[in-house]
Amino acid sequence: MTISEQVAPFVRAFRTAPGISDEPEWLCAHRDASIRHFAATGFPTRSAESWRFTDLRPLTASPILPAPDAVPNASERALADPPPSDPPPSELSVPTHRIILVNGRFIPRLSRIGALPPGVWLGSTADTVKARPGLIAAAFDASEIVGSQPFAALNAAFFADGFVLALEPGAVLETPIEVIHLGRTDTPVAFHLRNAIIAGSGSRATVIESTEGSGPGWTNAVTAITVDADASLRHIRIQNDGSEAIHTALTRATLARGARYENFALTLGARLSRQDIQVALSGEGASVALNGAYLLRGEQEATFAPHVDHQAPGCRTDEVLKGVMQDHAHGVFLGTIAVRPGADQTDARQLNRNLLLSPWAHVDTKPELEILADDVKCSHGATVGSLDEAALFYLQARGLDETTARHMLIEAFAADVIDTAALGDILSAPLRRHLRDWLGQVGGAA
Amino acid sequence: MGFDLAMPDLAMPEAATPNPAVTVSADSAETPDTLESFVSAANEGYKYGFVTDIEADEAEPGLTEDTVRFISAKKGEPEWLLSWRLKAFQRWQQMSDPQWAKLKIAPIDFQGACYYSAPKQNAGPKSLDEVDPELLKTYEKLGIPLGERAALAGVAVDAVFDSVSVATTYKEKLGELGIIFCSFGEAVREHGDLVRKYLGSVVPQGDNFFAALNSAVFSDGSFVYVPPGVRCPMELSTYFRINAAKTGQFERTLLIADKGSHVSYLEGCTAPQRDENQLHAAVVELIALEDAEIKYSTVQNWYPGDAEGRGGIYNFVTKRGACRGDRAKISWAQVETGSAITWKYPSCLLEGDHSVGAFYSVAITNNRQQADTGTKMIHIGRNTSSTVISKGISAGRGQNTYRGQIKVMPKAEDARNFTQCDSLLIGKSCGAHTVPYIDVRNPTARVEHEATTSKISEDQMFYCQQRGLPQEDALSLIVNGFCKEVLKELPMEFAVEAQKLLAVSLEGSVG
Repeated sequence: MTISEQVAPFVRAFRTAPGISDEPEWLCAHRDASIRHFAATGFPTRSAESWRFTDLRPLTASPILPAPDAVPNASERALADPPPSDPPPSELSVPTHRIILVNGRFIPRLSRIGALPPGVWLGSTADTVKARPGLIAAAFDASEIVGSQPFAALNAAFFADGFVLALEPGAVLETPIEVIHLGRTDTPVAFHLRNAIIAGSGSRATVIESTEGSGPGWTNAVTAITVDADASLRHIRIQNDGSEAIHTALTRATLARGARYENFALTLGARLSRQDIQVALSGEGASVALNGAYLLRGEQEATFAPHVDHQAPGCRTDEVLKGVMQDHAHGVFLGTIAVRPGADQTDARQLNRNLLLSPWAHVDTKPELEILADDVKCSHGATVGSLDEAALFYLQARGLDETTARHMLIEAFAADVIDTAALGDILSAPLRRHLRDWLGQVGGAA
Repeated sequence: MGFDLAMPDLAMPEAATPNPAVTVSADSAETPDTLESFVSAANEGYKYGFVTDIEADEAEPGLTEDTVRFISAKKGEPEWLLSWRLKAFQRWQQMSDPQWAKLKIAPIDFQGACYYSAPKQNAGPKSLDEVDPELLKTYEKLGIPLGERAALAGVAVDAVFDSVSVATTYKEKLGELGIIFCSFGEAVREHGDLVRKYLGSVVPQGDNFFAALNSAVFSDGSFVYVPPGVRCPMELSTYFRINAAKTGQFERTLLIADKGSHVSYLEGCTAPQRDENQLHAAVVELIALEDAEIKYSTVQNWYPGDAEGRGGIYNFVTKRGACRGDRAKISWAQVETGSAITWKYPSCLLEGDHSVGAFYSVAITNNRQQADTGTKMIHIGRNTSSTVISKGISAGRGQNTYRGQIKVMPKAEDARNFTQCDSLLIGKSCGAHTVPYIDVRNPTARVEHEATTSKISEDQMFYCQQRGLPQEDALSLIVNGFCKEVLKELPMEFAVEAQKLLAVSLEGSVG
């Protein structure tokens, strides 16, 4: 299929896409430029270095266009696929500010934003475009138009909704924000979500995002994050889409002096998924923690591609990603830490460890360092292996059956990264719960 | 193979012309102590020549099917080899040069180059007295034996009194054991069946752009065959075949170790070697049958260009060994200090059960040198194991990339790999990059990769200097310590020279 054949349906769909009513002119221009960029590049191919391990055929075989009813604020009754009547259960045991999106659009009836402290804005992207258009500009970046992110360009062209969190300098939000996206569809349609988190200097917040659902939907999210001087943001993403779903997500964070960003990504669902996390440490003394795990089974294929750019001196990166692959699953880790000239006293660690549980499971890992400053401490490591036979024997010798022993060892392997992330009991609890649920579905022998 | 990435089109001017831009920097006279400056000073107004026994003309510049036929005819090759070359040429025409390496390369004009030029007899200096004294000083620093200095400096062979006889003596000794060690051309004539059986069996013609180019136009090279059960009694080295050594820019080496044999091969030398061809694309194929062991050591010190990055050799090498039989072992050791551009990934195909691959590398980039080097270990057989130790040193504006792949195929039960790659940065303007690819398709595999990047510790420097060592010696000591794990893998004489070479290569990089 040529690029023009591949992109034609998207370009046609763009002409009739509703976008957001009353959106500012610059946004329309941005959408227009983005679809042009996508039309020129098409989907990435395996000949591109950063896509060579990912089989995108489930996504590119036939065009997956935005759901025709993905109109923001449309009357729910008018929708072909009505959202559930009850809100989905919370991931956390404490009260949260909740945003619920179904099939790519905000559902006020299920959401509960509640009372926010002064200096904090939380709303759907569509509402923010109308009410606080100034905030929305932060969610866009010129690189979508000129860069090599075709999915971000497609998202910019088509997005209809998402969430925006903005904290004014010094605002502290103790209550976590919970964003749940439900994808429910019987036909292959795309949900383009555009999110933004703007943390003013000295502010603090926690966001826990989760996606789940059923059917062959394609969730394509772009989240733009700015963390200003000395602000601190915790961001947890639990991807638990249905087994036929496709999930692509780009998170782009820029950290100013002394800022702190902690990201934890748990990948469980979707037949094909890819998470790109791009962090620019642009101010002195900024630090980022990127931790996570991908637990894959069946025919699942998941790529985790974190890229950290040390632009300023004295910054720190701690990155630990763990993968567990069962059945025919394929995990890919493409990590890069780049240190620019002058970014001295950089302290960066990158670790990717993988557990293969079946003869057909497969992992590609590429932890990359790109270093252009000399006064730095950088290390990376990667391991691939299976369960330690000696440990398995030890547990069985103590009277545990093989399945229990295996589960115990897998859980220990994966839970380790939850401990490393040190998110506290409240935020760790859902991660551990998902891990145990996943293990419950793992067969005994492999 | 290759890192099989996108290979967009690229044109190439200038670089491959037979007499390249080996420019002399104006300030070389003022800083005569650096390697670069005396190399370039030595180049000034001096054209050393190549020596071969073939009366030959030059082919017309450019590369067409006719060029390939011309080369083959000149060398009096059999029909099968000509058609092998032509097949390679056809593949090459459909390929474009790889872009995935972290290298900034000015486009190379492949059609502007001359692919067959017989060097003129006696064009070089007649004796050591005519050789630039600065160059001789380097030889002295490196401790190169007197007899070899003349040959390395490009003195015409008939002026080198004993190298020929040395080579002949060794050849007789090897012949008694049934070891074949000769030029590639001779092997085609004398041992055609062996060459035909193994040529291209590890690096096929279409393997990658530069291997295809080499396969089409390779000039000459070495051929080694060690019969079953024979342990080669000496290190086979390019030193012993000095008159056949100048095999030009498209060298082809084929080394076969038959069942249960053992051979150690040394390639290159520590002395600054100079060559008038800027583009080098060599291919080395190693085949180790059951229980055989091959140790292949390289020291590469081609002209790196001047301090501003003008001139210098482009070194695009495909080296690969196949452990064809069970318990075969192939070990690569390399010290790469020269060339403006190094693109080289000595690899092991671990086909036999229990076969073993190893890669030990030191790569230095100083001034504006760029190196993208590493290895590939492909685990195919059961219980295969591999070790990778890579030490990259960047100084000046050098860019040094380790790029390595560890692949464990589904049938490679209990494969084991350990990789360690460490980078050392000297100075603010250099770069050190690590790009490991790990691809595992068998759950019983155990693959570990670790890497660190650091600078020369000020504490260590202070300690050494405080004990009275001059700054340069202190640096050399620390760098040698950093590289120790690799240097100890080199054959002894080589190791001694390599240590000195590290110091010479890094001259002027601190202070």
